Amino acid sequence: MSRRSSLTARLTLLFATASSLVLLALGLVIGSAMERHFEEQDIDTLGGKLELISHAIDQLRGTGEGTPLPQALAQAFVGHHELAILVLDADRQTVFSAGDARFPVMAPIASTAEATATPFVWSQGETQYRALATRIADPAHPGQQLIVAVAIDIAHHTQFMASFSRTLWLFMLGAALVSGLLGWFAARRGLASLQQVARQTATVTANKLDFRLAEDTVPTELSELVRSLNDMLARLEDAFQRLSDFSSDLAHELRTPISNLMTQTHVALSRARDAEDYRDILASNAEEFERMARMVSDMLFLAKSDNGLVIPNRQVVDLGAEVAALFEFYDALAEDKGVTLTQDGAVSVSGDPLMLRRALSNLLSNAVRHASADSLVRVRLDETADGARIRVENHGETLPAETLPRFFERFYRADPSRHHTSEGAGLGLAITRSIIVAHGGSIAVESRDGVTAFEITLPCA
Amino acid sequence: MRILIVEDEAKTGDYLKQGLTEAGYVVDLARDGMDGLHLALTGDYDLVILDVMLPGLNGWQLLEAVRRNGRELPVLFLTARDQVEDRVKGLELGADDYLVKPFAFAELLARVRTLFRRGRNGTEPTTLTVADLELDLLRRRVTRSSRRIDLTAKEFSLLELLLRRQGEVLPRSLIASQVWDMNFDSDTNVIEVAVRRLRAKVDDPFEPKLIRTVRGMGYVLEAPDAA
Repeated sequence: MSRRSSLTARLTLLFATASSLVLLALGLVIGSAMERHFEEQDIDTLGGKLELISHAIDQLRGTGEGTPLPQALAQAFVGHHELAILVLDADRQTVFSAGDARFPVMAPIASTAEATATPFVWSQGETQYRALATRIADPAHPGQQLIVAVAIDIAHHTQFMASFSRTLWLFMLGAALVSGLLGWFAARRGLASLQQVARQTATVTANKLDFRLAEDTVPTELSELVRSLNDMLARLEDAFQRLSDFSSDLAHELRTPISNLMTQTHVALSRARDAEDYRDILASNAEEFERMARMVSDMLFLAKSDNGLVIPNRQVVDLGAEVAALFEFYDALAEDKGVTLTQDGAVSVSGDPLMLRRALSNLLSNAVRHASADSLVRVRLDETADGARIRVENHGETLPAETLPRFFERFYRADPSRHHTSEGAGLGLAITRSIIVAHGGSIAVESRDGVTAFEITLPCA
Repeated sequence: MRILIVEDEAKTGDYLKQGLTEAGYVVDLARDGMDGLHLALTGDYDLVILDVMLPGLNGWQLLEAVRRNGRELPVLFLTARDQVEDRVKGLELGADDYLVKPFAFAELLARVRTLFRRGRNGTEPTTLTVADLELDLLRRRVTRSSRRIDLTAKEFSLLELLLRRQGEVLPRSLIASQVWDMNFDSDTNVIEVAVRRLRAKVDDPFEPKLIRTVRGMGYVLEAPDAA
């Protein structure tokens, strides 16, 4: 169906066709019932006439002699002009004939069985006849049989039927038109609520995403549609909200370092200083710039992963070896804090080694940073029914349960006062999650009794 | 060593030229693709630093034209678009390296030096020395003023890197990538701690101090009189 057709037109056509078909069927049923009724009536009449004839013949037999059969019959049927009669003897010779009808002698009459009245119909020019034929014992020649047939003109019936069917067709045509019109009207009315929904949806814009269609004012058939539209709006609103939060977060996050840089530079320029001062200022600026550059590249990574553009270059990755390599990296930092790094188990997954290393690196960095002094950061690797499990635990403050889900949000910092420390921009865990999600895995965090644990599940290699 | 920079962004071009000139290179700067191509084909350069987005002729087309003319000169790409396809395309066209903007100037300098070192195939030294510090690569042994210093494997790698690149400022990201294979922006505190620990063993008990922090840029190892 490449052609777009109007729903109204289709419904209208459907209504018209359906009602025409129903009327047609009804007409045909009535028509055939009437025809059968006429036929029965005719046969009744003809049967009566046949009885009359056979009665007349019987009377002849009773007297033996007297008026010959033709005269007797002619007398009996004086005044019955509508009736045609044919009497044949055993040799198929006409004994008596009355009326204009020329009976089709051959087939129906010849095959007429004894004592059985056989009805038949034939046309003769403009007129149609219905006839009934039977055999009666010949009074003149005992042992032989006469064939007697009576017929009546049924043209008036045919005419009636013709005019009936003409009326029927006209009526059907009219009914089709009327029901089509009604159908069109009903469809228009029915579809009006659809148009109303369309009109309402047309008013939805980016800053009106909180708009919802009224579910209770539409017909029940449309409430499903309206519900899906509303669900779609909710999803869009949510995504849009996150996007705009993200942009405003980004702007905000960039504003602080830019403001620092501006103030610092302006103050530095406000009077002459010696070279060492300038060097300090420039170095501090460079650090700030580096932080901003890192933030922007992290943001780009997250934006790409949001759009499904982070595609892992998969190979078999031995996570045990990755963790060991990361331990080497974080070893000095951990030792400085008196934190011991331990690793249990090993597991391999299919994934992008660089991305997974980055994901784990962020988790470890986070764990070491938040570990209390002289504690243990433990990484446990094992294989479960759900896949490879990586658990990174550190001892430290128990984090409030309600803040846990927010850990993976961009720019979220558990402690807002530690805004501009070595902690980075607060994108690390968001990046970790996006990497894990790109690998078809999941990540969760829990914190109780002074132990905070991140747990990653990844499909096994 | 002559370097051609093709960069349409005025400030970036000027500062790159200044920085590389101050690092001791002879630098020409072209502001668009056509000028760049002309210079690359007629001038005698040892390296081209090429921006991808250029007016007239973009970096890729320029590189293709240079390669069509049979010039084998090394090319380092600068790109603001960090897409895998872009990198692959650049490398397929025969670029030798690429850097994503924004980048640390020290990083660029380190890459440029690596490219120049490549192709120069001298025999690998088995010992590296600066002042009274000596690194025996075969025995993996470090001595200073004839005193043996015990280093962990990673400390040794870090010191080896600093020694091999002595006089060069090495950004933290480069150190993380070369020593620990952390090829992404990682926790830079780690590098600070690692360098501090190395200093405690190599520099603190001795004079003069060899490892110097260049604020805002990174670390450099050099004998004080060379500075």
